[in-house]
Amino acid sequence: MNWPPGELPELLSLGLAGAALVAAAAVLLRTRRPALALGVGLDLLLAAGLLRLSADQTWRQLATAAAVVALRHLIGRGLRIGGAAWRGPRPAADGPRDTGR
Amino acid sequence: MSAEEAEELLREVVGFLVTLVEACGAIVIAVGAVWAFIRFVLVAVRGGGARRFVPVRLTLGRFLALGLEFQLASDVLRTAVAPSFEELAKLAVVAAIRTALNYFLSKEIAEERRQVAEEREHAGHGDPPTATAVPERGR
Repeated sequence: MNWPPGELPELLSLGLAGAALVAAAAVLLRTRRPALALGVGLDLLLAAGLLRLSADQTWRQLATAAAVVALRHLIGRGLRIGGAAWRGPRPAADGPRDTGR
Repeated sequence: MSAEEAEELLREVVGFLVTLVEACGAIVIAVGAVWAFIRFVLVAVRGGGARRFVPVRLTLGRFLALGLEFQLASDVLRTAVAPSFEELAKLAVVAAIRTALNYFLSKEIAEERRQVAEEREHAGHGDPPTATAVPERGR
């Protein structure tokens, strides 16, 4: 018995990739926050990649999945660093509860 | 029963279990992703601010982590039979990717959870969270 049956995971992952774009666009339109929209899109794209990884694996697919994961974390880290720099230093009056972030 | 027959039987049993566990993982991931997509769109349509998306992302992260656990379990099962060096190498790469994903996902879930708890703490003190106190981490 072989999992997955036929092309089901590929179709599902394609559908999820499309859903990721739609959800990211909806979040962007609603919140006007590109970073949040990108995070939502990347979360759903990750799910699509995981489903694709369940299918028959070739070296090319594995390398692609690994590259996507690495890229996702690189982009996320870059956005966090950029966002922190954009906000600037925190005022000292915030107290100890708000430190360390 | 000869040794070859026993090995063949073991392969079949392990193959069935791997299929079952892998399918469970894929179903969990697919269900979580579809649910999250619907929730994302609903929250976007209804409105309510960026913070309304955080619980949805947390739940999606939990679904993905659970699916990854299933898939890692299937990887462990696969090591019960070692077919060829190439298949074993692929298995190692997939297991490494899934383990790394699981690690980063748990860290992200913990971080998001910390933010939600901090927001609740602020709300409890009657101190509205500001962009400085509870920053969006670019996610």
